[in-house]
Amino acid sequence: MHRNSSLMLSAALLAFSLSETLYSADLKSVVEMPDASKILKKDRLAPPKKYVMPKDCITTDPLAIARGKYIFHNLNGKKAKSKPPKGLVKYVMAGGKKKPKQYGNCVACHNIEGAKGGGNIGPDLHNYKKHFIDTSVRTYEYVYQQIADPRVHNPNTNMTINLTTGLFTTREICDIASYVVSEKK
Amino acid sequence: MRKIISLITASALTVSLSVASEQFSMSDADRALYKEMLENNPADIFVDEGSELFDEYVTEEALAKFLGVKVDDLPKIIATFPRYIPQVDEVLGLDQVMQIVMFKNGHKPFKLKSSEMFEMLAYAKSLANGEPINIDINANKKMQESYKLGEKMFMTKRGKRGLSCNSCHSNSVVGLILRTQPLPNLGDVNAAGTWPAYRMTKSSLRTLQRRFQGCMKNALLAVLPIGSKEMVALEVYVTNLAKEKDKKIAIPGLKR
Ligand code: HEC
Ligand code: HEC
Repeated sequence: MHRNSSLMLSAALLAFSLSETLYSADLKSVVEMPDASKILKKDRLAPPKKYVMPKDCITTDPLAIARGKYIFHNLNGKKAKSKPPKGLVKYVMAGGKKKPKQYGNCVACHNIEGAKGGGNIGPDLHNYKKHFIDTSVRTYEYVYQQIADPRVHNPNTNMTINLTTGLFTTREICDIASYVVSEKK
Repeated sequence: MRKIISLITASALTVSLSVASEQFSMSDADRALYKEMLENNPADIFVDEGSELFDEYVTEEALAKFLGVKVDDLPKIIATFPRYIPQVDEVLGLDQVMQIVMFKNGHKPFKLKSSEMFEMLAYAKSLANGEPINIDINANKKMQESYKLGEKMFMTKRGKRGLSCNSCHSNSVVGLILRTQPLPNLGDVNAAGTWPAYRMTKSSLRTLQRRFQGCMKNALLAVLPIGSKEMVALEVYVTNLAKEKDKKIAIPGLKR
């Protein structure tokens, strides 16, 4: 008798706790809690990478500088108003879809010759050649690395990472760097 | 009615904003318009609609009952969201809790990203207007974990430009200009207490998590879905920033 009732009690308790968990599982399925882990995994950033600047990277070729300038001052192919220089497109194919090509939007953080609405999160890049290159404060290699992956110079940088992320090609980084260090009117 | 109003404000705003946004985010004319809208926030209409939906599908009584409080104490508990919900053993946003209550009331829950849910969330949160934000990130282990995850989400660089939320919202850059826009300290501007808000540039009502998505999209971070553990965690983190600045709930906000 005694034994029986305690058995019954534990059976009842079991049923109760079972229904509790079933119930909470049920409620959980009512709440939208989408799994973001796959998205985040794909979006992960590779560790800082030190690059060797390719030969003939920095150039005075006006077309390369024009491309660098275009990338510097524009956000993407959809927002950009003027026609891009030769060698640069406004749209690219990605996963079977036509997507606006992303540009550097460096002007969001940097002021420079001819900037419209330049930001001040990064240093002013006016007269960069005169102030930084001609004085040997910076080398071409430094500029190249800074644009490719600034974390190598400052692990806590707020600047964008442009080569390690695959946003640009090596040639495009060279175009941008060539523009930054070019003599401007 | 709603369409008309949003159309009027949309056209008035896009014209003035696009003309004037060359150097600073707001011209004098925009600022005047902003002031005017502050007195007559277009979001009030959305909140009214949210109120009707709330009374039909959720109700204060059912929400209070589910949260285990008296109806009179709803404002206080709403000011503690996102919070740990023992019935599901998860940290949830108020919108997710309303999904449960809708279900319990015999209705099919609104999708988190639906305009109905945005409106209902704006109304439900406005019940706590004037309450100090009172999230407790140390309430229990789950809350602590959620805060930690939120902090990590905020600090982790990712995406095509290798940026984190912190790249643009750390104290080291607050007040600096990102392409004509001053960067806000999310605690000082009381982001947590002022969203859902009417976003002038989008001519619509947006929630805090929807605002996060906007920043992700702009900065090329992969956009995370509303209601995911990570998004709730970000909301926990950003809500605590406002709490640290002694901010109160003031819904609906009005944003540029
Ligand atoms: C989100 C902000 C941001 C963006 C976008 C940005 N930068 Fe920077 N940049 C910085 C900051 C901050 C620094 C200061 C150094 C550091 O912390 O890395 C910097 C430093 C630099 C420097 C080094 C200046 C020196 O000390 O000699 C160069 C060159 C530069 N950036 C070029 C660019 C170019 C080119 C782009 C676009 C492809 C760009 N930046 C985009 C924030 C930014
Ligand atoms: C590239 C820069 C940048 C990044 C990265 C960024 N933000 Fe923002 N964020 C901004 C700017 C600029 C504003 C102000 C925009 C405006 O005035 O409309 C803003 C506004 C906000 C607001 C609204 C503040 C208010 O007024 O209530 C929230 C919330 C926010 N950001 C959260 C985030 C979160 C969370 C992340 C990361 C997922 C993030 N941001 C990443 C630039 C950024």
